[in-house]
Amino acid sequence: MSELIQLGNPHQRPRQPRPEDVKLKFSEQGVKEIEALMNHYPTKKSCILPGLWLAQREYGGFLSGDAIAEVAHRLDRSYAEVEGVATFYTLYNTAHKPGKHKIEVCTCLCCHLNGAWNLRDHLVKKLGVRHGETTADGMFTIEEVECLNACDRAPAIQVGSEYYGPLDEKQLDDLIEKLRNTEESTVVQYAADVVSVQLRRGEV
Amino acid sequence: MAEYKLLLEHSKDPTFRTLEGYIAKGGYTGLKKALTMERSAICDAIKAAGLRGRGGAGAPAFLKWGGMPKEKKTNHYLICNADEGEPGTFKDKELLENCPFSLVEGMTIAGHAVQGDVGYIYIRAEFMDGAKAVRKAIDEAYAANLLGKDILGTGMNFDLEIHMGAGSYECGEETALMSSLMGERGMPRLKFPSAPFPVASGVWEKPTLIHNVESYCNAQVIVNNGAEWFAALGASTKNSRGTKIFSVSGHVNKPGNYEVEFGTPLRELLELAGGVRGGKLKACVPGGSSMPIITAEDVDRAIIGYEEMGEVKSMVGSGGCMFFNEHTDIVKYAWRTAVFYANESCGKCTPCREGTRWQVQVLERICKGYGRPGDIDLLKQIASQIDGRSFCPFGDAAVWPIMAAIRVFPQEFEYYIEHGKSMVDSKPSLVGVP
Repeated sequence: MSELIQLGNPHQRPRQPRPEDVKLKFSEQGVKEIEALMNHYPTKKSCILPGLWLAQREYGGFLSGDAIAEVAHRLDRSYAEVEGVATFYTLYNTAHKPGKHKIEVCTCLCCHLNGAWNLRDHLVKKLGVRHGETTADGMFTIEEVECLNACDRAPAIQVGSEYYGPLDEKQLDDLIEKLRNTEESTVVQYAADVVSVQLRRGEV
Repeated sequence: MAEYKLLLEHSKDPTFRTLEGYIAKGGYTGLKKALTMERSAICDAIKAAGLRGRGGAGAPAFLKWGGMPKEKKTNHYLICNADEGEPGTFKDKELLENCPFSLVEGMTIAGHAVQGDVGYIYIRAEFMDGAKAVRKAIDEAYAANLLGKDILGTGMNFDLEIHMGAGSYECGEETALMSSLMGERGMPRLKFPSAPFPVASGVWEKPTLIHNVESYCNAQVIVNNGAEWFAALGASTKNSRGTKIFSVSGHVNKPGNYEVEFGTPLRELLELAGGVRGGKLKACVPGGSSMPIITAEDVDRAIIGYEEMGEVKSMVGSGGCMFFNEHTDIVKYAWRTAVFYANESCGKCTPCREGTRWQVQVLERICKGYGRPGDIDLLKQIASQIDGRSFCPFGDAAVWPIMAAIRVFPQEFEYYIEHGKSMVDSKPSLVGVP
């Protein structure tokens, strides 16, 4: 229980950079996209959530202090406000830098009834890390998450924007092998997907 | 009665996800019809059809439609709540993935009826497949002048945007969703009577119509087929009309979404899902994890309907129907549900933030075999301090399942506390309490 709530390493949490240290790192494409997203809402503040997704893509899957400071700067909001929003939502990686692939194991009611703990234990044994930890090679992060709403596919897991389920240990092993050979980071790919789906065709 | 496919009729058909295929199946006739109708006539049709919100509370939809200002003084907004998070529910996911045009058309009709300017579809970020399908549908609708400026030459302007969430169950609550859309932490806001209804002052303090995905899809059916036709569905029930999609999961042979008419016995839903697997039926949670659990005997006599479900002391809720077999340990069910609510509590109000954690602490100690004689009373006392005293309905939802479990299966809790172990011969998969 307490394990599920306290996530990550306090030393890796975002820290506000000094004003002179803020560097704007968004790519040209990213700048265009955040401006297009701002047009979707009557206020700039509403663009904080999409802006953070964009930053998560641009900063390699982790919302560091620099990333949050850049979003705050571009939307004319304070650092504290944007950080407050970023740390509320579980899909923003603010607790620590995640691995290349984040494996989110659903352990909620239906998956629980269908043996999610076995899957979780297998994963812990195989990768040697626990909930909220990343393997030493920076490849995988395991997270136990609440309902993914794939109860018909229980036990289900999510990696990036893909759902997998129902899974047994053998299929999980195959999936991990497949992910090991995947060049691109699914964490970054996921953030990129979320950004692109909010933009109309031909808008940028 | 068997399945009655109204919304999910073409859900297995891949062409239904393209504009051509959708129109070939009779799509967009509803919008064309709506554009020739008076605005008030559409709201009256929603009222006459007896549509009730499909998100969980089951409030009559016309209260929202009819409550929107008739004279337009400022921008009107529409929001579609696609932030489905209730454990056991996956109907909105299927509608987004397989029937995106039904939602887009339904929202456009609503936009016409309440003079909306922009509609936001707030989609849970995990539902990438659904979001991509809706994006494609919106883009195609724009290209065919079914969205945007001067829709079909009638002078109506309506835009649809997708707003992705970022992982929070609380954002499924309508005021919390509006906070999230405005770029804040997803925490609920004051409600009526302390604050005006969203239809008077919602997102950005402008009139806002907010509905669940299934409600908007139903609105399109009502306009298309007529209110009387719709009101005839489920006429055997007291006050529930139309169909309801149930997401059946748990220990069943064929989990999935099944759409049934109101008035269908709950037992038939179980039969549609291929019956119970791994033993006899023990219990059922009929409407998502927030709803009270019922026994196998109650499953036999329960009728699906908002009022009818009250006779077995449960509710239709969001339609996440979970069936449990005889090897299910109800105490562990209560513990797991409590963990969910403790993890997802937004932390705004004290009864919910603290109370959900206390519930977990007490249930966890029972599950680990250290239960104390007064623990059942303690759980009841905690529940009485959360129920009705929290800021939003989340607190109520967190205590109902636990209280119902204690009410329906008291002997299991007593046995667990007395003997330090479960009276159910549980499967190994259910044993682990981390």
